[in-house]
Amino acid sequence: MPSFDPRIERLHISDNSKEELLSHGENWNIYEVFHQEKRGARHEHVGGVHAPNPEMALVFAKEQFGRRKRCVNIWVVNSADILAFSEQDEDMFAANLGKTYRDASGFRVMDKINRIRSQKKEE
Amino acid sequence: MYGGGYIFDEPDKKLSAQEQLHDDPEKLTRFEEKIQAGEKIEPGDWMPSEYRRQLIRLIEQHAHSEVIGALPEGTWITRAPGFKRKMALIAKVQDEIGHGQLLYNAAETLGKSRESMINDLLTGKSKYSNVFNYPAETWADVTVIGFLIDAAAIINQLANARGSYGPYCRALERICYEESFHLKQGQEAFASLAAGTHSQQAMLQDALNRWWPPIMQFFGPPDKISAHSGKLMQWKVKMASNDDMRNQFLDTYVPKVWELAMTLPDPLLKKNESSGRWDYTEPDWDQFFRVIQGEGPCNKERLDVRRWVESHGRWVRLALMKAGQRKSMPMA
Amino acid sequence: MLREALAELITKMADDELILGHRNSAWTGLGPILEEDIAFSSMAQDKIGHALALYTLLRELSGIKDMDHFAFGRQADQFKCCHLVEYPNGEYDFSLMRHFLFDAAETLRYESLEDSSFEPLRQLSRKFRGELKYHMLHGNTWVIQLGHGDEESHARMQGALDACFPLAFGIFEQGNREAFLIDQQVYPGERVLQERWLEKIYPVLVKASLNMPAPDLNPGTPGGRQGKHTVYFAPLLEEMSEVFRMDPETAW
Repeated sequence: MPSFDPRIERLHISDNSKEELLSHGENWNIYEVFHQEKRGARHEHVGGVHAPNPEMALVFAKEQFGRRKRCVNIWVVNSADILAFSEQDEDMFAANLGKTYRDASGFRVMDKINRIRSQKKEE
Repeated sequence: MYGGGYIFDEPDKKLSAQEQLHDDPEKLTRFEEKIQAGEKIEPGDWMPSEYRRQLIRLIEQHAHSEVIGALPEGTWITRAPGFKRKMALIAKVQDEIGHGQLLYNAAETLGKSRESMINDLLTGKSKYSNVFNYPAETWADVTVIGFLIDAAAIINQLANARGSYGPYCRALERICYEESFHLKQGQEAFASLAAGTHSQQAMLQDALNRWWPPIMQFFGPPDKISAHSGKLMQWKVKMASNDDMRNQFLDTYVPKVWELAMTLPDPLLKKNESSGRWDYTEPDWDQFFRVIQGEGPCNKERLDVRRWVESHGRWVRLALMKAGQRKSMPMA
Repeated sequence: MLREALAELITKMADDELILGHRNSAWTGLGPILEEDIAFSSMAQDKIGHALALYTLLRELSGIKDMDHFAFGRQADQFKCCHLVEYPNGEYDFSLMRHFLFDAAETLRYESLEDSSFEPLRQLSRKFRGELKYHMLHGNTWVIQLGHGDEESHARMQGALDACFPLAFGIFEQGNREAFLIDQQVYPGERVLQERWLEKIYPVLVKASLNMPAPDLNPGTPGGRQGKHTVYFAPLLEEMSEVFRMDPETAW
């Protein structure tokens, strides 16, 4: 049955097209993409592209992640070059909220002011 | 676009039962508590093997559906009437390839390579949304697909975007944003024909009559004959029942079709005031399964085209492949 | 007199971009790898957008009915595109090489228009500069990388260059009002652009280890600018306007 798509008709797809499967690595490597919306903004991770090298990754990332909305810059990094903690290491961060000595909430001035006022009253 | 709520599954239940025996019960409990608490699961996290398997299947099928879905609408790219329709259609089909790219990346975080997913598509082992096994016979078909099938896909995507797997949720967030453009564009093109000449209206009505049965099957079989949804819903892999989504679709979009003075080829289709849900003629689910297995009008063409694409693009990919390059998975 | 000369220049530019954009858009969904499919499609959309902007300018200049009618309703001999853009897509090597050669010429053309005596063209050239920068980056990157890729990609790119190069000279075919356009400082003229183009593409081809065919032996295929097209053009036009012609007077 002829295709309704003239582009497909022009491909002259034969009936016994052999099934050539992709080999490992044929879709190249993964580059993570970071996108900066406007000057002054942080670069944000938005996804990844399959590319053979950084130059091509940048070319691809521009259209896959920068064809819509505001964008002023894009970074690409080979996924294999990113070092990260694993899920089990989440416990290393667990004590953060308890470390009041690192947080403004750990330092109270008002109670000292009140003590000075009540001392003055006594005098 | 997407494949409805239906995740085509292999009848290989024996293997998954064996795998599950090896899932650490303590880890499983903590995993399920995490999901209950609304936390997301990320790529490096421990997960039950069945969860991993089902997610790969779900996301992979979604990805295949986007890439195959680009074909029926692509049918009319070279013939779109006028600048506005031409540019919008090219952009829309491009977006579908873009969605496929995002989704394959999300599935890859679970450990299956894009090459192996593509191979499973080419051999017919992995499925895609059945709705794309039908031909876009006229320009009006493009507007029906662009309006109603995108609408159905959005309902599904919005539901899945609240699921448990981080990378999939993030991909869906981006996809849902782009889909809002697709829906508007599709609806406008549809309305343009509905408000047009007698000839245009007739073309649209004919397209609607042909596409309505596959659209009714989009969300998959009724809940009562769908198997194994319980675990998937507990793990927030499947987020809504097929019937609920179908009903939501009918509730939102049937009135919009009728408002444009178009009819739908189902005499039973109406909102049941007492139940609050829609009545309709039950789709032919036997026919649905036969089409999935290869008997649809376009199954062969869809895969033939993808095989042509992969085979004719091979020289490009091989030319730039470097021996011994460090192969990695997407981070997130 | 100036109005006709400008119309001649703008029409051929717009027709080139519309037809090439149309050809390139046909790769959407069929590209050699997903990421490249997306990139190539964006550039096709850009070209069609450029054509629309140019036809819009034409409407103000020569009172054509509207842009859709002008693009989708003309007869073949009223189109002034060059032969290069009419050719079928072939394999990806041909399409890529055509994109590289044409976009280099297009970039130089718009660059030269940044100093045009005709303000609207100055504006458009400023507006398109960023898009064309990407098109050049894309074309150069691919030609160089595939030129070096492996034996097969090198052979294919050389073959594509050998096929496209003579056709590319048709881009620079001089129109009837060429001398007047140069005299009025609308643009420096086709001969100058052709020289700049050869200088621009040469270093990239060297980097890609590709042999540039000798220009002198290939006068190119003229005729496009006079409305004489290849056998490929009529079917292209018929397909492009198929739905539009079902009813040119209605809204789609």
